[in-house]
Amino acid sequence: MILASSLSYTYPMSTTPALQEITLSISAGELILITGPTAAGKTTLCLALAGILQHELGGTLTGHLSFQGQSMAEYEGMSQLNQHISMVFDDADAQLIFTSVEEEIASGLETRLATVAQRRARISTVMERCDITHLRERAPYALSGGQKQRVAIAAALAMDTRVLILDEPTSELDVRATGNIIEILRGLKSEGKTVIVVDHSLEGYRGVADRVVELNHGRISRQGTFDELFPHPQGTLKALYDDPDLSPFIPPAKEPIVRIKDLYRKYGDVPALNGVNLSIYPGEFVALLGENGSGKTTLVKHLNGLLRPDSGIVRVLDLDATTEPVMTLVRHTGLVFQNPDTMLFADTVDEEIRFGLTNISTPNPDIRIQDVLRMVQLSGQEQTYPRHLSRGERQRLAVSCILAMEPEIIILDEPTTGLDEAESDRMMALMKSLQDQGHTIIMVTHNMRIAEEYAERIIVMENGKVSGDFTILQRTAS
Amino acid sequence: MTEILQYIPGNGILHRLNPVTKVVIVVLIVAMSVLTPSVLFLAGLILVIAFGASVSGMHREISKQIPFLILLGVFLLLVTTLTIQGGTTYFTLIPASVPVIGGMLQVTESGIGLGLLFTCRFIVMILSFHLFIVTTKPSELVTGLLAFHMPVDYILMFLIALRFIPSLQLEAMRIHEAQLSRGYNPGTGVIGKVKSLRPIMIPLMANSLAKTQVLGLTLDMRGYRSKKTLPFHELEFHHNDGFALIFISLVVIAYFVHHFG
Repeated sequence: MILASSLSYTYPMSTTPALQEITLSISAGELILITGPTAAGKTTLCLALAGILQHELGGTLTGHLSFQGQSMAEYEGMSQLNQHISMVFDDADAQLIFTSVEEEIASGLETRLATVAQRRARISTVMERCDITHLRERAPYALSGGQKQRVAIAAALAMDTRVLILDEPTSELDVRATGNIIEILRGLKSEGKTVIVVDHSLEGYRGVADRVVELNHGRISRQGTFDELFPHPQGTLKALYDDPDLSPFIPPAKEPIVRIKDLYRKYGDVPALNGVNLSIYPGEFVALLGENGSGKTTLVKHLNGLLRPDSGIVRVLDLDATTEPVMTLVRHTGLVFQNPDTMLFADTVDEEIRFGLTNISTPNPDIRIQDVLRMVQLSGQEQTYPRHLSRGERQRLAVSCILAMEPEIIILDEPTTGLDEAESDRMMALMKSLQDQGHTIIMVTHNMRIAEEYAERIIVMENGKVSGDFTILQRTAS
Repeated sequence: MTEILQYIPGNGILHRLNPVTKVVIVVLIVAMSVLTPSVLFLAGLILVIAFGASVSGMHREISKQIPFLILLGVFLLLVTTLTIQGGTTYFTLIPASVPVIGGMLQVTESGIGLGLLFTCRFIVMILSFHLFIVTTKPSELVTGLLAFHMPVDYILMFLIALRFIPSLQLEAMRIHEAQLSRGYNPGTGVIGKVKSLRPIMIPLMANSLAKTQVLGLTLDMRGYRSKKTLPFHELEFHHNDGFALIFISLVVIAYFVHHFG
């Protein structure tokens, strides 16, 4: 189906090649899993296999690439290739263009299916498959990250092409939704479609992927069946709350650092929080889990005053977080947003960290900056332009910006999205050391492996309520 | 968050009209508003638009625009009365008794007249365009514009520009929250305000630019650029389209009667 031999590629304006000597043959009906650390060239490889590098992006491409026995260059361009190949890009938000989910999915069909009835049928089928029927009339840009990803996948599925390429389609999905997507991919494979998928969370693909390709620095470092490459389980798949190591959380006999009582909050008419009751104690490492849209992010935004409740009590230390100004609260609760790019604006790393320090007028900012850079292992990068750092480094820089302000409580919203396993573990090791220094850590995540390995207490949210509160036994024992 | 220029789902008459009909109506209304020198006729056009909005349940959309339109009107009136002079002088903004500059800044008949004309013209254009956008699905918009042989690339540019408005609003909100979490303090005074824009504007620009590539590629993958043939079978014309076209023809006749009758 797709054949690449000694394919190398360098992006325009770049000097180092993104892909080097890639030789890969993909047959029809195969499901290939591509994995590897951040910046290994996975996305570039996807773009190459879709023909986008050749036809849209420019740059230097050497070697041979063919699709269905015909050289990729001989195709007329994407207008012809899109009849055979569809792709889900890693940025779910950027690929949703229309005003309703239904229209989004219909958009690619107009040139493919002749009658309205055929199109309606196809739209209904894919919406059911991706479990988004209830979102039919919603505006795509207003959905949660996980919902957006499912809509993007549905839009690509609707095209019914012979080849489907997915670039990290499950990065913002919880375990159940991820399992569902993998099930869909398995179904496509049995229909004889060729599926190429990039992912970091691997275990779900055991028994589904025919072949795993591991990339490193733009080269294929390993290739083989799933069991050959990963004989041992890669993280957990089952919902963590069924884990036998969990026991119900027993509150310690000390003053809580965060106390939330009967917290209600709506967005317009949509209830986001439905009576949350929760206490968090000093020095805890809490993982806040829950399915997409269960209210996790909404809850943590109440802790530093970004959101105010409709009703209920939120106390942080001895402050009333429902009325206290944000300026006061941020000295005690540091919230690190999911995407570091939402905050990075300065010309240098040093200036970036200094911004927060100046805002709250910290004495001796220079010493603080040196200290936090050492903690996040970015020493020596003071004069680097923040956006030139890798994704993992940017994430650590974002943490250091908050850390420098020395809040007692550090909240991380999905700190491992877009990070590979090594980077995720590094981030978590950092959090662990902060906990040892006396900080209270609250981590919003859907990554069960991370939660299980690092957190001590697990709080599960469901439909805007706390539905479970557990201690991980083995952790407390050790 | 109030959304600017975004399609509002509904099932009114305007929603059900064929996009081609709507393009014709908007073009005719805008053309008449530009050609007419009569404030009275423009007022009539505003009434026509208000009528169209209320029969299709979009009156709230129109009334939401009123504060903005008043602001625009005041601004236009001020600029034209101060820059255009002619006809009877009603009064001067600086009384004649003030030495040296006394009697300057005259408010004249043609100044006010032209100001009113411009104001009404802009109101007509903004309202009709706004109604068109909020009642037409983007995909219908593309089909409607394609029917007039607009180049596909321009239509897609227009579509993407519309699409980016709510994304930018959301993104700006998110960035604002992220910076607030770092103790960001929107400055005071003009210089402070401008300076404090930097932490918001730079991530906003950088992140949006990063999105454009994926957005463009997505349109390509869905086959939008290759949309050379128009799915004409989709452009169903109903009775409503007929009525709407007859109605707008009556308005056009009224235009001719008013000016040349």
